[in-house]
Amino acid sequence: MSILSVKNLTKEFKNFKAVDGVSFDVGEGEIFGLLGPNGAGKTTIIRIIATVLAPTRGTVEVLGFDIIKNSEEVRKNIGVLTTDIGVYERFSGRENLRYFGELYGLSKEVLEKRINELSNLLEMRDFIDRKAGKYSTGMKQKLAIARSVIHDPKVLIFDEPTAGLDVLASQTVLNFMRQSKKPGGCVIFSTHQMHDAEKLCDRVVIIHKGKVIANDKVEALKSKTSSDYLEDVFMKMMRV
Amino acid sequence: MSKTILTIFKKELKDTIRDRRTLMAMVVMPMLLMPVMTIGMFKFMEYQVEKQGEKVVKISIIEKGEAPALIEMIKNQEKIEIVETDGEIKDAVTNGDLDLGIIIPENFQENIDDQEVANITIIQKSTDIDSGSALARISFLVANFNDQLLQERFADQEINPEILSKVIIIPEDVATEKETGGFLLGLIIPLFIVMWAITGGQYTAIDVSAGEKERKTLESLLLTPVKRMDIVFGKFLTVSAVALTSVIVAIGSFYVALIYSGGFGSMMQDGQSSGAEGIVESAAINFSIEPQAVLLLLAVSLFLVLMFSAIILSIAIFAKSFKEAQSYIGPSYLVVILPVVLVNSMPGFEPTLWFFAIPAVNATLLFKEVLMGVYDSGHILLTLSSLIVYSVIAIFIATKIYSKEGVLFRD
Repeated sequence: MSILSVKNLTKEFKNFKAVDGVSFDVGEGEIFGLLGPNGAGKTTIIRIIATVLAPTRGTVEVLGFDIIKNSEEVRKNIGVLTTDIGVYERFSGRENLRYFGELYGLSKEVLEKRINELSNLLEMRDFIDRKAGKYSTGMKQKLAIARSVIHDPKVLIFDEPTAGLDVLASQTVLNFMRQSKKPGGCVIFSTHQMHDAEKLCDRVVIIHKGKVIANDKVEALKSKTSSDYLEDVFMKMMRV
Repeated sequence: MSKTILTIFKKELKDTIRDRRTLMAMVVMPMLLMPVMTIGMFKFMEYQVEKQGEKVVKISIIEKGEAPALIEMIKNQEKIEIVETDGEIKDAVTNGDLDLGIIIPENFQENIDDQEVANITIIQKSTDIDSGSALARISFLVANFNDQLLQERFADQEINPEILSKVIIIPEDVATEKETGGFLLGLIIPLFIVMWAITGGQYTAIDVSAGEKERKTLESLLLTPVKRMDIVFGKFLTVSAVALTSVIVAIGSFYVALIYSGGFGSMMQDGQSSGAEGIVESAAINFSIEPQAVLLLLAVSLFLVLMFSAIILSIAIFAKSFKEAQSYIGPSYLVVILPVVLVNSMPGFEPTLWFFAIPAVNATLLFKEVLMGVYDSGHILLTLSSLIVYSVIAIFIATKIYSKEGVLFRD
């Protein structure tokens, strides 16, 4: 059964087609890679799934909820980490998380428990009570991740979560994604770093110029293109 | 009110209060600026006039002919110093060594004795304030001299000097002390309220909308299941709360300063009485405001604030950055304040009913009425209801803008 189903999705902006008839399904318990070079249309697809952009044609179903007809239900069930991380700088990390927890309608006890849990998982204890304005990029990214999963969503979507992070911070983030896989849900990992995708993803789609050019298991793609690494697969597919 | 609106309101309020610039705009500026600017200005003018009155002016008299009585009178006048001048008297007045020069012609006394017209020439510099006050004092003195002279001449011819009596005006003001106070307050308070209703929340409005976009936190807010309407409402309430606080602080501090400083009324009265030469007895001015007037001022201010907050928030939401928002809002401030200043300062302006349907202008006119103790239910209802309608329209537009993806993701 698919948790998330993208159906013939197209998004046109004033003068160009950012997404052109994209379809794919993500199954239960999968870590699914959404791969492609910069500007391929990954972020637009994610924004449409997250209901902040409306599709020109096609639709997406998340846990059976349609993004257009049931956008509120969709938003309740997904956690999205956007590429542009911004946190409220005059608030501490904890205050940032509290605000979003309240907006998701969490009760006080559940919220405080969840904040402590995420603080441990993402190794934020040392700085969570400091003003977010003083955070480093890595700290901000961890806070942004914690914020996006504060309501313990079934479907997680991470858009370039390791961009600009050092090796240590990247490891924490990747481990967190691995642990986030859970029954009844899925994780979508959008990246252009093939190395990370290869380590983590069960299945990937490769998007190029708004179109799907490959959609398969990592191993299957490797043997199809007789490559040893996903990076080579990627390079070969791009050339086609 | 939904719980999420309250959550957003509380968060934005906390956020904006932690920003020193908001505190400046909301509390410090209105608290200091208003009383200092207005009362300070009046006090300064008062001080200047007083100083001018105390000033001893230097006068030189060139006697080509004799004028013993007149010169005696000038010598006895207080705050006039008679000095000797060598050289050209005009040069001395020009370079400021002398405030005024008087030239008495050769046959001055003969002309007076013969009961003919006698001239004196006065050298003055109209661009010099001291020269001006010297001229005023000498003119006043010469007028007294003339009166005395005429009385003597009438006495010589055994005519009753009473026939010299001229018409004297005895003004009686039917305006009560309260009305006078209300009128003076009406010149300033409406303008302040409108001004702070716009500017008080401006910084916060930009910060919660364009600022949030610029700092890249907006998208994560839109990712939550919260309704767009609730987001706009929470932000709108924050801006309104900040603006209303600044209005109340501005008016409150102005009023307290007015009461403690003795007010600017004495100055205005002085201005009048010096013109009419002591005929007008300075009336006491009562600056107290009736409780129902305070309530009405607050109610109208509230709706004024709601309307402006909604308009400014709409504009700021549309902008993609702080700077862009500022450059949009700057001119809009002028559009509002110009007509308000106009109706506020136009003397004898009698508004027709539809003026009370023009936003901001209606509040200004109503504030003036209320401060003078006039309660016109038609004006009050029209003002309040039109402000409510404008507020609702502005909030509706702000919500629409927040739902447009193009505005949200303009890069």
